[in-house]
Parts: sequence; C-alpha cells; structure tokens
Amino acid sequence: MAPADLALAATALACLALRLAGVWLAGGLSTEHPAIAWATAVAQATLAAFVTLAIVAPAGALAEVPLAARLAGLGLGVAVCLGFGRRMLPALLAGLAAMLLVRALLA
Amino acid sequence: MPSAFLPGLREALGAPGVAMAATFLAFGAAVQEAGLSPGWALLACWGIYGMPGQLVLVQAAATGWAGGVGAAVMGAVAVNARFLPMAVSITPVLGANSRWRLLPAVPFIAVTPWAAAMRALPAVARPERVSWFLGFGLTSWVVAGLAALSGYHLAGAMGAEARAALLFVNPLYYALLLAADLDRPAPRRAVLCGAAAASLALLLPAATALLAAGLVGGTLAFLLGRRRGAG
Repeated sequence: MAPADLALAATALACLALRLAGVWLAGGLSTEHPAIAWATAVAQATLAAFVTLAIVAPAGALAEVPLAARLAGLGLGVAVCLGFGRRMLPALLAGLAAMLLVRALLA
Repeated sequence: MPSAFLPGLREALGAPGVAMAATFLAFGAAVQEAGLSPGWALLACWGIYGMPGQLVLVQAAATGWAGGVGAAVMGAVAVNARFLPMAVSITPVLGANSRWRLLPAVPFIAVTPWAAAMRALPAVARPERVSWFLGFGLTSWVVAGLAALSGYHLAGAMGAEARAALLFVNPLYYALLLAADLDRPAPRRAVLCGAAAASLALLLPAATALLAAGLVGGTLAFLLGRRRGAG
C-alpha cells in the first residue's frame, strides 16, 4: 500500500471511530446533562483555539498572507456578522474582500 | 408531515456551501500539487471530512512523508479530535430514540453540519431532525467532493495567492459560526476561554496544543458556567 493511501485509510478510520465514540457515549443523555454541556464547551473552545491559531500563526500557504491582512479579514467579517443580523454570506464576502484589500495594499 | 430532508439540503447550499466550496477548491489544488490522484482527493474529502486534518496529510505528502506516515496520521487525527466532543454534543439534539438510527448521520459530523444543526434543529420537529441533518450533510459532501475535483483540475490556473485566499475562507467561516453565537453566555465563555487557551501553542507542539487548548478552555468555560448557574 502506498504511504498516501495508508495514511488516508488510517486517518479516515480514526476519524470515524471518534465520531462513533461520541454518539455511543452520548446515547441516552438529554441536552441538559452536564456531560453534554461540557462536551459542547470543549468542541466550541477547540474550534475557537483552531481559529485563533489559524489567524495568528498559520501553517502552509496561509502563512504567506500578511498577519495584518488576516486580522483585517477576521475583524471585518465578524463585525458584519454581528452588525447585520448574523447573515453569514455577506459577512464571509466582506471578510474575504478586506483580507484581499489589505494584502494588495501591503504588497 | 413533509420530510425535513429538503430544508436541510437548501440550508447547505447557502453560506455553508460557498465556504465549503472555496476551501475544498484550495484543497483539491494542493492535492494535485502534492502529486496525489483525484481519487485520493475525493476519498480524503468523504472519508476524513475535516479540512484541518486533510491539510495535514497533504502537507506531509508534499514533503514526501519525511516525518513518517505514523506522525502524519497522528497529527491529522489530533487536529480533527473535535469530532468526539461534537458527536457527543449533537447526539441528544438529533433526538433519535436509538443509537442505530443515528448511524447514517455519523460520517457527516463535522464543523459545518454541526454548527448549522445546533442552530437550526431546535426549531425542527424531533422525528424530522435526522432527515434534516442527512439533507444538509449529503449536500455538503457533494459540494465538497465536486469542489475538490474542480480544484484538482484547475490547480494549474490557480496562483499561490488565489490558493491562500481560498484557504483563508476556512478559519474565517469557522470564526463567523462562533461569532453568531456570541450573544449566548455559554458559547461566549467557551469561545473566549478557547481563544485564550490557544496560547498553549507557545509551549506545546501544534497538534497537542490544539487538543490541550480545547480541553483546558472548554473545561474552564464549563466550570465558570456552573459557578454562575449555582450563584
């Protein structure tokens, strides 16, 4: 088996196992159960940590976008999201446009 | 009662579809550049279905698996480990009476369907919730797969700057999902604690830091919420 196929198969199986384990662990619990509230908090905190690291200290191709451009995109996107009734698409486009604009200005 | 499959499908074609298409386009291009096949790109989308982990594997492939396949797999799984708490938190919301009814929904548990479901499902009748989630998840899968294949074949036409811009859409969209929940105290606590705990990356290697930040930040947010609730 080629390394790429082996890595893909192992990662896919492990990710499936994580999802199945979560569903099995939570079976029978209600949304008010403290374990559910804790798991939700951990999921949201992990996502927030991922976003923070991806914006402040990204790996790969994203690292070539200047920090100021990444921060401008994040800032305007979130501001539009909060200011215009949580509408995702305008917020996404505004954030992307701000990132592109600042990147172009700094180039 | 009409099935909730179609409303789920329609929901997935809005902002979630655009965000997903942008990121998976960039992923497809990266797969082509790493010298892997389009079939690999498609299977990675559908088998892993978590962009940060997919990118870890592609980056490892681009370096010729210099760090070893085992290390790449561990890095990819660690960065996608949020699937476990997400599956725990969404299971009661899906409202099925038995775990077996949830099996078809399991492969679709990922950030975008999870966030959309946590917002939309409380307003959907309980017996219809799995259908809604399947409608959303299957549509997202198709969008992701088509975008990755398109990215693979358009890689030559896409410069590094365009690719970086598309990759930026992924954390930006996740940030917007979190921001939309900031008016509720429990998610606000989790987001602030998680973002602060990301500073653990200064002390720990990247994949471990993310796991630790989620656990430390989430647990702290949970305990703060309990104290507030008790007081």
